[in-house]
Amino acid sequence: MPKSNALTEPFLQPRPPVIADPSKAQGEYKKKKRAKNVSGTLARIWSYLARRKLKLGLVLFMVLISSALSLLGPYMIGVAVDDYLGGEGGFWGMGWGRFLIVLGVVYLLAPITSFFQSIWMIEIAQETVYRMRVDLFSHLHKLPIPFFGKRQQGELMSRVTNDIENVSATLNSSAIQIFSSVLILIGTLSVMLTLSPLLTLLTFIVVPLMALGMRWITRRTGPLFKERQSNLGDLNGYIEETLSGQRIIKAFSQEEHVKQEFAQRNERIRLSGFWAQTISGMIPKLMNSLNNLSFALVAGIGGILAINGQVTIGVIIVFVEYARQFTRPLNDLANQWNTLLSAIAGAERVFEIMDEEVENKDEAQAAKLDKIEGAVKFEGVSFGYEEGRSTLSDISFEARPGETIALVGPTGAGKTTLIQLLSRFYDASGGRITIDGREIGTIQRENLRSHMAFVLQDTFLFEGTIRENIRYGRLDATDEEVEEAAKLANAHSFIVRLSGGYDKMLTGGGSGISQGQKQLLAIARAMLADPAILVLDEATSSIDTVTEIKIQQGLQRLMEGRTSFVIAHRLNTIRQADQILVLKDGGLLEHGSHEELLKRGGFYSGLYHGQGIEEEAGD
Amino acid sequence: MSLVFAFLKKYRIAASLALLMMVIELTVELAQPYLISKIIDEGIAKSDLGVVWMWGIVLLIGTVFAFAAGVASSFFASYASQGFASDLREKLYDKVQSFSYSVFSRFATSSLITRMTGDVTMLQDTIFMSLRFMTRVPLVVAGSVIMAMVVNFKLGLLLALTVPLLLVFVMWIMKRAGAMFKNVQKRLDKVNGVIQENLTGIRLIRVFVRMKHENGRFAASSGKLMKNTVAALRLTETTMPFIMLVMNAAIVAVLWFGRADIMAGSASVGEVVAVANYALRTIGALSAFSWIAVTFSRAGASAQRIKEVMDTESGEAAEREQTEAGDKALHRGTVRPADKSTGSALQGSVEFQHVSFRYPTSDIKVLEDISFTIEAGKRVAIMGATGSGKSSLVQLIPHLYDREGGQIYVDGRSIDEWNTETLRRSIGYVPQEVLLFTGSIRENIAWGREDASLEEIVEAAKIAQIHETVEKLPNGYDTQLGQRGVNLSGGQKQRLSIARALVRRPRILILDDSTSALDLATEARLLGALDRISCTTFLITQKISSTQAADLILLLDEGRLIAGGTHQELMRTSELYRGIYESQFEKGEALHA
Repeated sequence: MPKSNALTEPFLQPRPPVIADPSKAQGEYKKKKRAKNVSGTLARIWSYLARRKLKLGLVLFMVLISSALSLLGPYMIGVAVDDYLGGEGGFWGMGWGRFLIVLGVVYLLAPITSFFQSIWMIEIAQETVYRMRVDLFSHLHKLPIPFFGKRQQGELMSRVTNDIENVSATLNSSAIQIFSSVLILIGTLSVMLTLSPLLTLLTFIVVPLMALGMRWITRRTGPLFKERQSNLGDLNGYIEETLSGQRIIKAFSQEEHVKQEFAQRNERIRLSGFWAQTISGMIPKLMNSLNNLSFALVAGIGGILAINGQVTIGVIIVFVEYARQFTRPLNDLANQWNTLLSAIAGAERVFEIMDEEVENKDEAQAAKLDKIEGAVKFEGVSFGYEEGRSTLSDISFEARPGETIALVGPTGAGKTTLIQLLSRFYDASGGRITIDGREIGTIQRENLRSHMAFVLQDTFLFEGTIRENIRYGRLDATDEEVEEAAKLANAHSFIVRLSGGYDKMLTGGGSGISQGQKQLLAIARAMLADPAILVLDEATSSIDTVTEIKIQQGLQRLMEGRTSFVIAHRLNTIRQADQILVLKDGGLLEHGSHEELLKRGGFYSGLYHGQGIEEEAGD
Repeated sequence: MSLVFAFLKKYRIAASLALLMMVIELTVELAQPYLISKIIDEGIAKSDLGVVWMWGIVLLIGTVFAFAAGVASSFFASYASQGFASDLREKLYDKVQSFSYSVFSRFATSSLITRMTGDVTMLQDTIFMSLRFMTRVPLVVAGSVIMAMVVNFKLGLLLALTVPLLLVFVMWIMKRAGAMFKNVQKRLDKVNGVIQENLTGIRLIRVFVRMKHENGRFAASSGKLMKNTVAALRLTETTMPFIMLVMNAAIVAVLWFGRADIMAGSASVGEVVAVANYALRTIGALSAFSWIAVTFSRAGASAQRIKEVMDTESGEAAEREQTEAGDKALHRGTVRPADKSTGSALQGSVEFQHVSFRYPTSDIKVLEDISFTIEAGKRVAIMGATGSGKSSLVQLIPHLYDREGGQIYVDGRSIDEWNTETLRRSIGYVPQEVLLFTGSIRENIAWGREDASLEEIVEAAKIAQIHETVEKLPNGYDTQLGQRGVNLSGGQKQRLSIARALVRRPRILILDDSTSALDLATEARLLGALDRISCTTFLITQKISSTQAADLILLLDEGRLIAGGTHQELMRTSELYRGIYESQFEKGEALHA
């Protein structure tokens, strides 16, 4: 670019937009997630903080002292100038040396008190946040499973991480700062008024100017930031889209096309970003200038007053310093206030989860069984998630120990609900469910579940070694038992071929091994748990047919000798079951073995000969 | 940093102006305590009203002047930093587009996105702040000390002795705190990781009754986070009180010596006040130092990450040649007709000879010793488990990756000898995951060939069995897709991306499991329509129904070709193929029985 252009270029930008209705701009600018119940949320945060009442009291005490000291410091400098440097005489009859010692003590205590005030507050804040985190986390584990189905995982994640972090940062500093800002503001104001009401008024001239200037700026920055944000979102979206689709771009030789599109978006963001930054960049300049202005006014007019003998030089010096101290807390207050509000809103979202109702408690006399055989009986069981709408109605069947029961039916027929009743994630609203002749309501929930093992559709692996992931099935299992389980599950051979073998670290979600291998690990995990009752909830539906053939053997071994409930779309798994329950619209439509059901020529036979259950039940 | 200056060079005038304005603003501020000492000593002490008026007005004018300079510096700094970021982003994007695909996949996509968005913004903000604010802080400190010495050399010397000491202290704290905060971040990631895992695996944890175990794990990592956070904050919180402590001591010393000097007549009240005032200003500036150091170290890390991308070689020779051709075409502003004719001359026979392949970042062989031949216009079906190497195999044909060993011939010519662009122009590729872009349906199909006419687009859509669906949409081919547009079903999206590949009139068509969401009838119609256009087709599939008519079926297992042949041949020779057949077709036979 030629030099002459570079000089004039900045002035050739298009002008920034100004919107006609300032109230609208303010609304847009300030629109943030606000808390609904501020006082309630504050009370709950307080209940956490209140565990350290003594320390908190000390912090407040320190804030009081440090605020007082920060007022006293400049005041004493003024006194020093008037009484010792300029004039004669003393302050409360103190000699110069004694005065300096007192000043020294004030100057020494001010930083020390502010130090203790902040570190004690940090300790309290971090402890509070720690407790909130742990409480929230353990509460999550008490919530009924359907809760997690209703919520988006990303949104939950954000509450547990971002929102708590937000609370943490605010408690660390903002809470105390707001308190001390208010104290200093009041203190400064009263001292200033006593010293010279006229100079105080002069100092205050800047406040309406500040408000005016801020209004002028926010009127413009509001829409500008909004525009920049939307341009930025657009550009980021484009980057994400084209980079994720890079393979397509390459395969279709479209590099030039996307480069041009990118350049256009890039230019748009440059323009909107330029004005947003220029105008919002004026805020600190404005603040600074107003500081300078009050300095000039106090110095000039104060000088005139001093010559007339209305104030002393010391007073001018105190005012010059106070004026600086005065605009700072005002500025802080505005900033901190917003942070505080957003933290309260964050805390509220955290507490919202803590208020979710937990799973029902076990009955007091509930039993703990060491061993179960695995005889399962449903007698006229019905259930509805909501009053008046039944998801399951009048289900009866009996499974002898070691039998395989297949559950078949379209999505929403109630297959998963039936399993959830058996594992007591819900309690049936009618009828009886018994295990070994014992009603499951009389068995402790955790004990009941410890006799069951699940292999689910979305195999989940934790960050950790393969060994640790298998051992999750039974935490006290030895290395030999882990390997034994892996061998039975047909997983051993692929594990030893991995670099690192059983000690290979699996990263989040188990990337680095195939879907089929993940499923084998899940089978090994269930094998190790050695349950009497096994549930395979669409364990093979997310794997391709070739992989399924490969894991079939491991699954068969796992099911041997256990009462197994199998929910599956693919027919060959189902065909071998001892009993098939065909569910439709919450009712038990057909019941029998594969051959019996085929002979009957009903719904199952239709499914089997027709489209196949995959099509019917798939999405 | 050299990278930053290279890109900033274009905006050196605006940047210098911004700095100049900032210095003007700063000068006014630094003059204030000096001027007030004048007011005290020459005005008030001598009861000279005129002097007070004069300096008061000078102060006022200075304020106005400083404000104007401040606004101007904001303007220029914003211009320079926005221009800088825009240029950098564009260069970065062009660079990434010039990467060959194998170089591209060396970076995680998410990391490239962050580099292009977050890191560039970080640098832009740092430059903006530097021009207006950060360079100002050291100047305030230095200026205050110098001015104090100008006002009264002996008293100013007290500041000159204390300030460097404090600087060393702040730097030391910064260094230690930096390491500690890194630690805190690691702990926080760990805590968040546990949460993430628990939310994802909540059902599993519940059914395995591992809540106590998980609660303990979480409490342990949260506890560590708390300890580390407190330790790190405790360290940084000492900074400010310590600075205050030392500077306060300096002020007391200034007062002590100042009074002695006033008594001796070698100093005035105004001078003592001015020096004390400069000391107070230094406190504020010093406390900003730690913040600046953090910002700079973060900006440095961002610059480093961007530099990594900029310094990466674009890729193999064929790829570079193509990029240059692309650049030339851009300068001419036209699409190259010559290339296009070369493209349609391609016949479409493909031969693999002992091909092996591994991904650039991995040491596991994905494909090993793959050999087969297919004549132009024939259909190859590829089957195998997830992870057996099917997608990798077809990606080698458009030269998205370089193979490790062996040869791939298209029309009897090694793909290394083909101009990559010519080769790719003859290939229609439909990837496994559907990738449509924001825009209308017409644009998405025409994305395959920009100069395609509406008739050609409709024709491609008809073959892909999507035309009727599109016709039924309220805006037909102009219906918008993506974030604010219509949401198509998985099967509709698949057919749309097939149409996008077909509009290129490819000689080689690659369908990477692209019919998985189609029902059997639609898929059969699609395959029938594809039969009528003559192109070599690679079809990755799970369904026996779509392999039966193929001229060649390749069965892959863990990167090896374990069986190849027609349906009849494989039924005889391959046990695995028979197994797949039986699992899918038994019901069909039951029907016949």
